[in-house]
Amino acid sequence: MGEAQSVNGHGSAREREGWVTGTLVLFCLGSTVVTVVAGLIQVSFGEYSMTFVEAWKAVFNPAVVFNLNAWSAFLFGAELPEMSTGSIVIWNLRLPRVFVGIITGATLAISGAIFQAVTRNELASPFVLGVSSGAGFAVLATLVVFSGLAPFLPLIAAAGGTIAFVIVYTIAWKGGTNPVRLVLAGVIVNMVFQSLQQGLFFFADDLGVVQTAIAWITGSLTGTGWGEVRIAVLPAAVAIVIALAGARQLNVLMLGESTARSLGMRVERVRFFLSAVAILAASVAIAVAGVVSFFGLVVPHIVRNTVGGDYRRLMVGCLFAGPALMVTADVGARLALGGTQMPVGVVTGLIGGPYFLYLMRKQQSMGEL
Amino acid sequence: MARTQQDTNRERERITDDNGVAIDSALVGDGLELSYPTSEETVVDCARLDIPEEAVTALVGPNGSGKSTLLKALSNHLTPDTGSVQIHGEDLDTFDQKELARELGVLSQENDSLSSISVEDLVYHGRYPHRGFFDGVSEADHQAVERAIELAGIEDLRDTELGQLSGGQKQLAWIAMVLAQDTDVLLLDEPTTFLDVHHQFRVLETIRQLNEEKGVTVAVILHDISQAARFADYLVAMRDGELYDWGPPEEVVTEQLLADVFGVEATVTYEPELQVLPKRALSESRP
Repeated sequence: MGEAQSVNGHGSAREREGWVTGTLVLFCLGSTVVTVVAGLIQVSFGEYSMTFVEAWKAVFNPAVVFNLNAWSAFLFGAELPEMSTGSIVIWNLRLPRVFVGIITGATLAISGAIFQAVTRNELASPFVLGVSSGAGFAVLATLVVFSGLAPFLPLIAAAGGTIAFVIVYTIAWKGGTNPVRLVLAGVIVNMVFQSLQQGLFFFADDLGVVQTAIAWITGSLTGTGWGEVRIAVLPAAVAIVIALAGARQLNVLMLGESTARSLGMRVERVRFFLSAVAILAASVAIAVAGVVSFFGLVVPHIVRNTVGGDYRRLMVGCLFAGPALMVTADVGARLALGGTQMPVGVVTGLIGGPYFLYLMRKQQSMGEL
Repeated sequence: MARTQQDTNRERERITDDNGVAIDSALVGDGLELSYPTSEETVVDCARLDIPEEAVTALVGPNGSGKSTLLKALSNHLTPDTGSVQIHGEDLDTFDQKELARELGVLSQENDSLSSISVEDLVYHGRYPHRGFFDGVSEADHQAVERAIELAGIEDLRDTELGQLSGGQKQLAWIAMVLAQDTDVLLLDEPTTFLDVHHQFRVLETIRQLNEEKGVTVAVILHDISQAARFADYLVAMRDGELYDWGPPEEVVTEQLLADVFGVEATVTYEPELQVLPKRALSESRP
């Protein structure tokens, strides 16, 4: 009897929060602290000089935080209400960039994590599977050739990413797909789209356009504002909610295709649906920040090494770690070189690349998850 | 050979044992021709296959004789070129994937993946077909998992990660996952291959226990003909993608079968119990 009870107790504990571990909670708290600190540093520095205290007071200024008019200005583009210069600098110029960083960090991390499960390949990411280069090409083509369509950039990016991924999937499809073929097809499509991108530069006659385009291809948060937050926040929320709800599906997918099928999963359909979510997530980030390299690949790795491979934990971990790393990297991109701002993609590439090499050296087996 | 011909000539819905008592079939394969999408060649051609209800049927045959292919068709992992498979008299096509997974549990041959998952988490995945997209773990799920873990005898391993288990323990964990699926029919593809003798018996005893206590129908591919002969209620012997013979082991297992199907010279003794003693390989060139 006592045994039965303890078994039941175990079961109900599991039902509530069996997968939430202390490590995960600590990891998320730590990530949140990093995000907040990096964000505060980001808003404190810049051409309009403020002390830390002034900047932080402006961030937590109740006249803004609890002002509905201000929020409707931020989120719906209404008229900005009267406020102090400090508050305007913080709330209208510097903070939205942090928010964009949070959104892109979370979506890219989640996108990478989904792609890694869907292809059962540790090396998969929106970048490897062609999504980034497809979206990048679409964006570049818009900037260089069809500049009239600029307001629709996010949509165009998503369309380009989807087209590239569908091409990859079609090439890889042969009565079903497998991880290796998917990644191979991704690499090929990637190369084609990158060549197309480079080719497009020859058609750009304006140096400014080229610079914007390069910033886009390397991934940059420079100059992002509430407009970008408005564009990104809804699709990002949708993608994140579905991704979190789909974590159990991803866990079952990780058991292998035939097991997942035996358990009653319509594998191709689930795979395609979750891929669509991952494309949406990646496109959100690409539309507002461009192609931030290595991010979608490395962040899920860091999280996996810390909280384990269970996707319920992994997804939550990515949701916190992605913003922390993106905001931190953007602090480096904006402030490291003093006067000049670098694209954040340069920073993530410079840090992410070597870290990934280190992972490869440390782990004996790499590739198959 | 004559026997299979007779079987196909009999009334389709009913097969009988030697005493003329009708046997219900849990799974029936009818006029199956199977091939893989990547090649034109027909791998399996089987007029009629019966997996009798509430019995353990072992599929035996040499490598490449089409056992696994046949099992894939029975479990809807492979769509037959012609013919159909019925479970409890209903066509497999009429089930949606999750409905089918509540009727039919399948354990495939290669389960190499994943090392960082705990045994208990793995077994909980067996409840997938019973849970909706947003459903949490129900009491029924919890009980099914406990039963499965107990039946497989891996209570002490429940929090261990899969990567730390031996091959035999891993196989028991996977079997527990399929047991948690709580199906009436179970298909297992070589569950004992590559296991040490101790774990081979643990696996077979688990299957037998499941069959006797719950009346679960089991079809299992076994590599070892002598093991299959002792263990199963019925044998299905395959050769070159065709059904060579079908029936209770005492009737199916003969020295002729071992020569024809497996290409070995062997002695078969029937008393006190069926025993197969393989002696040497017959030359390949034999017709």
